[in-house]
Amino acid sequence: MAFGDLSEGYWRPSYHYLRLHWRLPADTAEDVVQAFFTAAFEKHYVERYDPTKAKFRTFLRVCLDRFVQNHQKAERAEKRGGGQPHLPLDFPGAEQELAAIAMQDRGDLDRFFHDETVRALFARTVDAMRRTFEAEGKSVVFRVFERHDLRPSPDLTYASVAREFDLTAAQVTNYLHAARRRFREQALVNLRALVGTDEEYRDEARELFGLEIA
Amino acid sequence: MTTWLPNAVVEHLRVVATWPELPGERYVIDRPIGRGGMGTVYVARDTALERDVAVKVSNAPAPGGGLDDRLRQEARVLARLEHPGIVPVHDAGLLADGRLFYVMKLVHGETLSTHVARIEGEAAMLGIFERVTETMAFAHEAGVVHRDLKPSNVMVGRFGEVLVLDWGVASVMAKDTTLAGTRVGTPGFMSPEQARGEAATGTASDVFALGALLFWMLTGDAPPLTPDEATRRLRAAPRRPVKRLAAIVLKSLAPDASQRYAHAADLAADLARYRAGGPVSAHRETALERAGHWFVKYRTFILLIAAYLVMRAMFAFLR
Repeated sequence: MAFGDLSEGYWRPSYHYLRLHWRLPADTAEDVVQAFFTAAFEKHYVERYDPTKAKFRTFLRVCLDRFVQNHQKAERAEKRGGGQPHLPLDFPGAEQELAAIAMQDRGDLDRFFHDETVRALFARTVDAMRRTFEAEGKSVVFRVFERHDLRPSPDLTYASVAREFDLTAAQVTNYLHAARRRFREQALVNLRALVGTDEEYRDEARELFGLEIA
Repeated sequence: MTTWLPNAVVEHLRVVATWPELPGERYVIDRPIGRGGMGTVYVARDTALERDVAVKVSNAPAPGGGLDDRLRQEARVLARLEHPGIVPVHDAGLLADGRLFYVMKLVHGETLSTHVARIEGEAAMLGIFERVTETMAFAHEAGVVHRDLKPSNVMVGRFGEVLVLDWGVASVMAKDTTLAGTRVGTPGFMSPEQARGEAATGTASDVFALGALLFWMLTGDAPPLTPDEATRRLRAAPRRPVKRLAAIVLKSLAPDASQRYAHAADLAADLARYRAGGPVSAHRETALERAGHWFVKYRTFILLIAAYLVMRAMFAFLR
């Protein structure tokens, strides 16, 4: 698993997990996330993963739990050496999301971490879609998708979206089909990069989309 | 800045990402309304005829395949059975990813599983059951055995229409593609021979399922394994049936297929006789019961004669 995929796919769920489950202050949670993913890279956490024991997501959460316990034993000042590398992570943005997440049931830690991982996976997928559609000169496809599927409302119809974008309903249908297909394909690519084995990938794809991957 | 997705959007994306991409522009998927082991049913807009339809799409092929074959079989069976009790198929085709879909009439209603609680009185209950039996009689006449009849596969429409659904494991007699030894059906509603995985399941298996359905409508439970226990439960049922109706149920549920009605049409005929107040083939009547039926049948004539005799007696007395 590439380090970029590991940090991009899991840093945000980890941050929310630390803030809500461990109840760490925002600055401490930021430090722990930075230090955790740096340590994961330097100490090759991924290589210790045994797929026969747990899903990769669960393995990573347990690693994070242990890391926090160790972190709390050490002096923060010593742990936060000025020479530590820093990842370009959007902590203020993640902090703003806490208000919405805090309303959810957080009784099941594994479920909470799973849901946050899915949220991060989908968000990353949507961002990638925006970039690729724009690069292909098809930003209207993404904007239709954004209007209909990222800001859904009960009174929204294909016809109303068509009027809003000066398109026909058939065009809206086609654009949504194209965008959803791209979303599914991109999400599966991102998902594969976040799990440990092919079997886990198939399980996760089935759970996520009800798809059977050959 | 990374996009933030609320829970509702995450769930929405999860759902729409797996919606089928129907070829062309005629059908526009609106929402899913049900998912089973074989396929998912969506409400879609038929833009050519400007009406809502139901589209059933096979789930992604499971390892080893088979789902598409079953859905294709179901579409073909439905297309061959044109009857008011069977949902008509309008169209069929392949998705871009190779999965099969077919388009059918959208029925607004609820399954018998939930509708049964609102049925008031035996006449209304038997009215629904009779429609199911007539539909199955038609299917048997056309050489089709349903093999998975149960409350959740019967739809009662908003205007009282009764439809038999889910023909995915139906067998076309003399052209059955189901492998011998493959067990199809639902425990509690499948016949003993189906439960044993016997290849030669015929119309009598559907008769058993019809008996199980009627038993369930009367008692609220699937039938037990033994006839004695079934008899006991019928006697203790909230809607306790009279002997003739109980006999129809028990004959349908006979463990030995040769002891049941051979076809749904035979069951339908016996049920019609029961509803008309006449004797039924499933029940050997006592002399008293026969007299009772004779009285019911000729009651107008008997009452007229009785009235005449009473008047004659009164006149004779008054003289």
